[in-house]
Amino acid sequence: MSHRELFDAEAVSQTAPGSFAKKLADSGFPVLSAALLGIIVLLCMGAELIMTKDPSYMHLESIHQPPCREFIFGTDSMGRDIFSALWYGGRISVLIGVLSAVISALIAVLYGAAADVAPSGIDTAMMRLADILLSIPSLLAVLFLQAILGRADVLSLSFVIGVTSWPAIAKVVRSEVRRLQSCEYVIASRCMGGGFFHILKMHFLPNLLPTVMFMVVMNIRGAIVAESTLSFLGLGLPLDVISWGSMLSLAEKSLLASGWWAIVIPGVFLITLLMCITNIGNWLRKSFSAGENNV
Amino acid sequence: MKSAVVYAVKKLLIFFAGIFVLSIIVFVMSRIAPGDPLVSYYGDRAEKMSASEKAAARERLGLDSSVYIQYIRWVGNAARGNFGISYKYRQDVSEVISRRLGNTLMLGGISFALVFILALLLGWFCARFEDRLPDRILCKTGTFVSCIPEFWLSLVLIFVFAVTLGVLPGGGAYDPGHSGDALNRLRHLVLPVAVLVMSHFWYYAYPVRNMLLEQTHADYVLTAKAKGMSSGAVMLKHCIPNIIPSYISFMAVSVPHILSGTYIVEAVFSYPGLGTLAYESARYGDYNLLMVICLLTGTAVILSNMTGQAIMEKINPAISAQKRGENL
Repeated sequence: MSHRELFDAEAVSQTAPGSFAKKLADSGFPVLSAALLGIIVLLCMGAELIMTKDPSYMHLESIHQPPCREFIFGTDSMGRDIFSALWYGGRISVLIGVLSAVISALIAVLYGAAADVAPSGIDTAMMRLADILLSIPSLLAVLFLQAILGRADVLSLSFVIGVTSWPAIAKVVRSEVRRLQSCEYVIASRCMGGGFFHILKMHFLPNLLPTVMFMVVMNIRGAIVAESTLSFLGLGLPLDVISWGSMLSLAEKSLLASGWWAIVIPGVFLITLLMCITNIGNWLRKSFSAGENNV
Repeated sequence: MKSAVVYAVKKLLIFFAGIFVLSIIVFVMSRIAPGDPLVSYYGDRAEKMSASEKAAARERLGLDSSVYIQYIRWVGNAARGNFGISYKYRQDVSEVISRRLGNTLMLGGISFALVFILALLLGWFCARFEDRLPDRILCKTGTFVSCIPEFWLSLVLIFVFAVTLGVLPGGGAYDPGHSGDALNRLRHLVLPVAVLVMSHFWYYAYPVRNMLLEQTHADYVLTAKAKGMSSGAVMLKHCIPNIIPSYISFMAVSVPHILSGTYIVEAVFSYPGLGTLAYESARYGDYNLLMVICLLTGTAVILSNMTGQAIMEKINPAISAQKRGENL
């Protein structure tokens, strides 16, 4: 962490909450990333307005077309229009990302805070359990959870990714709460008779929020990667549910037919989206100082 | 001396408790997970079997008793080094795994070592040019490269180097009949290792850069410079040695990160390692095999986490003091 960031950290903890707009303007907000992200998300949400073809219709007469006037981004090996599928599938990818990030953040904050409040023995046990859960390959966890939920769909996949991605955040939440507990203003508050819930509301939550916000953003990114990887490997969404991952799962066929467009175009969109989210996440971390030292 | 023994015993207990809980979770999960082990053992014949034949087969394979009986039986056998047979390969699990373990260790080990060295060098380079053009370019490139999902990077590299240019093999660990040929194996490792290194180095180089910057802004650096030491020498003699312990502990804690990357890359390149094996066995319900793979992975992760923690406790007594509840 550079000196400038350390200063930011102090400034943030000293200023009253509410000067958010001013901070936003001063802190080098990644305008380009936010704008790109906004455009992509908006276009995905309004996919019906810009789609030129039905994304799931198979144009059997023009399988594996390179980009041309009719199919702007070409067609995949099942004859589906990539341009239309891109927006339609992006909606599902973004939705899964947001949903699973919210699920994991909820579990993580509750678990992390509970662990810190609990007696030291239980705290250690809870954190050890989080470590152990972290060590289970998510492949197995996903298979297992989906067996209970039935066929993989958007909701079950978000749930599965959310439920398997909280331990890392819970560990950070706990260490953050621990750090806050030895802060002088918290000690002062406790000495003056502040109860647990008073401290939680007045000191922990406002301080946790920026940290958690940064991690939720990063978890959206992680969930989008997880969805696409799982769908690509054939463990996530089936082919007929269009998402960026399931679009790419056809890529191996395109690979052999050297159809670069079916690999490159969805990939470029995916990476652009991830890059924008990362930049915003990094800005959040810098301006609210979640700190590198939570590792 | 006595406290060292207590410390070691405590760590061992924590380690075994971790393995124990992990094995229970994995065992129960793998028994509830989908996939009929009879199908993977008998193939198509399982569907033609009558109900009584199926029951007999289940009994023979020990699949008929309740989950915890099966678990106790499994632990008893495992203690004697017998992890059961793989239903799919119809061989001892330990045999199937030992054939693949080397491949994964080679892929993971080479990538880990390369990432370790590369991240340190790049972090150093960035810190040297703090906030100047080379640093800024590297920071942007690093963030960009780390945003590329591993499976997509693998696809693109296969497309460019294997399909289009045809200079490197796009999958497997060696060509048929070349299993002993080191050069042939090395050629097959180039692309998977490249993917792993590219998608991980920034994750480690950036913290190195920040840790180094924290050092270079410290007062002792100013003192050393005032006494006539060049900034390069200060970096080499003071700053880097100072961050090495925390870097090593950071890398130790990050083993699962690279390991899971290895598994994904293996699956894309159909590289015959533990990752591909885990993926296959999960799909075919090959419980015995899956359990041992998960346990092996988990053991590696728990061990590396504990190593990282031990190093952290060694260099920062405040952490272990905090653990004992000595803070307010």
